[in-house]
Amino acid sequence: MKMKIVISGLLLSLLLSGVLVFSQEKASKTEKVIIKTSAVCQQCKDRLEKHIAFEKGVRAVSLDLETKELTVEFRTGKNTKEGLKKAVTKVGYDADELEADPKAYEKLPACCKKDAPPH
Amino acid sequence: MNKIIVYCISILVLISIQTKGQQQIKGTVFESVEEKNKPLPGVNIYWLGTQAGTVSDENGQFKIPVNNNSHVLIFSFVGYENDSLHIHNNKETVSHVLKTNRTLDEFEVVQRAKTSYVSRMSTLNSINITSGELVRAACCNLSESFETSASVDVSYSDAVTGAKQIELLGLAGIYTQILGENIPNLRGLANSFGLMYIPGSWMESIQVSKGSSSVLNGFESISGQINVEMKKPAESEKFFLNLYQNQMGRSEININTKASLSQKFKTMLLAHFSNQSSKHDGNHDGFLDEPLYTQYNFFNRWDYNTPHFEFQFGIKALYENRRSGQLSFRAELPRDTSNGFGIKLNTRRYETFLKTGYIFLSRPATSLGIQQQLVYHGFDSYLGLNDYKAEQFSYYLNALFQSYFADTRHTYTTGFSLIYDKFNENLNDSLYDRVERVPGAFFQYTYSDGTKLNVIAGLRADHHNEFGLFVTPRLHLRYSLNPHTIIRISAGKGYRSANVLAENVSLLASSRLIVFRENPRLEEAWNLGINLSKHFDINNRELTLSVDAYRTDFINQVIVDRDTDINRVLVYNLDGRSRANSFQVEANYELINGLSATAAVRYNDVKMTYGNQLLEKPLVNKYKGLISLSYVTNLKKWQFDLTTQFNGQTRLPSTTELPEQYRLSEYSPRYTIVNAQVIKYFRKWNVYLGAENLTNFKQHHPIIAAHDPYGKYFDSSIVWGPVYGIKVYTGLRYTIE
Repeated sequence: MKMKIVISGLLLSLLLSGVLVFSQEKASKTEKVIIKTSAVCQQCKDRLEKHIAFEKGVRAVSLDLETKELTVEFRTGKNTKEGLKKAVTKVGYDADELEADPKAYEKLPACCKKDAPPH
Repeated sequence: MNKIIVYCISILVLISIQTKGQQQIKGTVFESVEEKNKPLPGVNIYWLGTQAGTVSDENGQFKIPVNNNSHVLIFSFVGYENDSLHIHNNKETVSHVLKTNRTLDEFEVVQRAKTSYVSRMSTLNSINITSGELVRAACCNLSESFETSASVDVSYSDAVTGAKQIELLGLAGIYTQILGENIPNLRGLANSFGLMYIPGSWMESIQVSKGSSSVLNGFESISGQINVEMKKPAESEKFFLNLYQNQMGRSEININTKASLSQKFKTMLLAHFSNQSSKHDGNHDGFLDEPLYTQYNFFNRWDYNTPHFEFQFGIKALYENRRSGQLSFRAELPRDTSNGFGIKLNTRRYETFLKTGYIFLSRPATSLGIQQQLVYHGFDSYLGLNDYKAEQFSYYLNALFQSYFADTRHTYTTGFSLIYDKFNENLNDSLYDRVERVPGAFFQYTYSDGTKLNVIAGLRADHHNEFGLFVTPRLHLRYSLNPHTIIRISAGKGYRSANVLAENVSLLASSRLIVFRENPRLEEAWNLGINLSKHFDINNRELTLSVDAYRTDFINQVIVDRDTDINRVLVYNLDGRSRANSFQVEANYELINGLSATAAVRYNDVKMTYGNQLLEKPLVNKYKGLISLSYVTNLKKWQFDLTTQFNGQTRLPSTTELPEQYRLSEYSPRYTIVNAQVIKYFRKWNVYLGAENLTNFKQHHPIIAAHDPYGKYFDSSIVWGPVYGIKVYTGLRYTIE
């Protein structure tokens, strides 16, 4: 019986902490930036969105494959456009005028490389 | 209020814009034949992530309306690699050359966002369970991978050994063929415990196809086929670690690593260790609720790929020991009626496979493949006073040649196979040794007009050294009434050679005596099925509705009869009728952004002739329901899963001849199981916490006459519900890409 209470307590606190995280993030000011990237396929999109989601202050992220533009919404004060651009290069893609980090680029799936057949 | 009005108006405006400017994209698809481009008819072309699609005509040309939700066109065709194309300019004319498929696998996996789906292109009613779906139930091996699936049930075979079996279309797992990367696996001795030999973190995806399946993999599938694709060096992570722990003392460690020796030559090592060492007897019947066990499991694979040659080699080794039975059992004392009832189940299994494939680059859709597998399986056990030792040595060979007639709408696969099995079984010093040799040949024709109709017609002939020659016809049709409605029909025969002892190890944990009234003959059955799937667009989200009806009719079946005689289990060949009807309705829908839901109901009507009466098959749920919810937050940092299974009544084997205190009711009660899980994702790792059986439902007295295991009435095989209550688990996964 005790076990049951402990367990439901644990589950509840996990759920609550999730809810708290979301409500906190809504409180402060955000900024939206657009970064031109070198992402080309669905795999690139998934990869880039996943990694940028874990950058500081990021609240929303989405890549438009047609324009190769990455739209990032983040909390001002927590991050900057320059910081996010650098993060994009570290995933292996160009960001505006910055070139992709060569080491990260090497690790990209075949379809994301620049010499991949035209898409 | 104003906001809502503005919102509604903007939606209306959007809809009108969408219907107004219906631009079209025109193009042609080609295949490359001897370095020349030839138009390719019948290619499926659709916008990624949408239902909007078309098919190329006889000149390879197609037209498709511009889609506002997607800019990526997917090209898909049997025998060719799926390809995607980004459309940057809606006015340009597209011309695209498809590449010949470079894999030997017969299943095509189409990349979609859904974690579990029925491929719209597939001719078979096949459900693909991806790695995304597999993480929804964090534990731990193949037997636990179907908790969120509506079609496959998994249940304990008995209350003591921990053996699990699956059920498909109301029929026991023995009638479902299990494939490991398209090679039949877990046959014979591995049947009772085999589902636990495939760790969850080794699996990349699972394909479940219901009803009759293709003739290419043999004659054995009757109610369906489950194919498990393992992780492969080309697509897998560089390093993966998974740790798991539950409150009952079960621990698991999984480590996967890979290395590239060159661009073409890659290897991967997968290792698994699991252990359950703490004893639990929650229902105080003197028996362990779950066995103690230790499993070591290794898999090393090597892949070599060039444009026209493919080579895969793998080696697996497994060791497992299980201990169960009464807490009072002392292994160091002699095993007799003064000692407790002890159970030992030790398994050693070694497997190796070799797949080679040659792709004829000069001719499209043409390839040659050879699959080979060697297996040794050793099983050493005692259950109380019963001693059962068994060994199986198997060899499997399958050679396939694939090509086409006139054009690639008409493809065929033909080839031959050989199955060799040597069994040495020893039950209480009675020997059951046998050798089975089954050479066979097959031919399968596939037609696809690309637009509406797909047909797969297959025929195979096999010769069994004991049962002689037999023929397996199978037919599949897929017809799309319109782009949103698909009908699939399947019909076919299946055969199986029963391994009665190995498949019923659980019955040794009872006072019943297994009596063979006659020699088992080859099992033989027809399966007929129809499936209708329909896709609706509701609020810009897709609702998928799937309705299935299947019927299996046995011509011969090996009946394991627990009803006729309370002291014995009778084994004989079917004399009369045996049939299974299964009817299922399933719906999938994304309720709000990030929250997807599955709901399903199933009705099973399974009857067999026991002795001379047609009875409901025991321990099969007549009704079953499932509601499964999964919520992923905006940035995919949190994932919440909740699955509820409703289990209807099952008939229990007759206990009317037992003394009154041991008698069971005729039917088991209805009950509900709830599982829940939370995953928190970080950049390189994620942690999970979950609970199985949240309502803490238990079958209270799963063992009959548990206090008198050497008496006349002891029986642990009548299990219809969970023996153990709520189970909480936690763990983490760490990945280096």
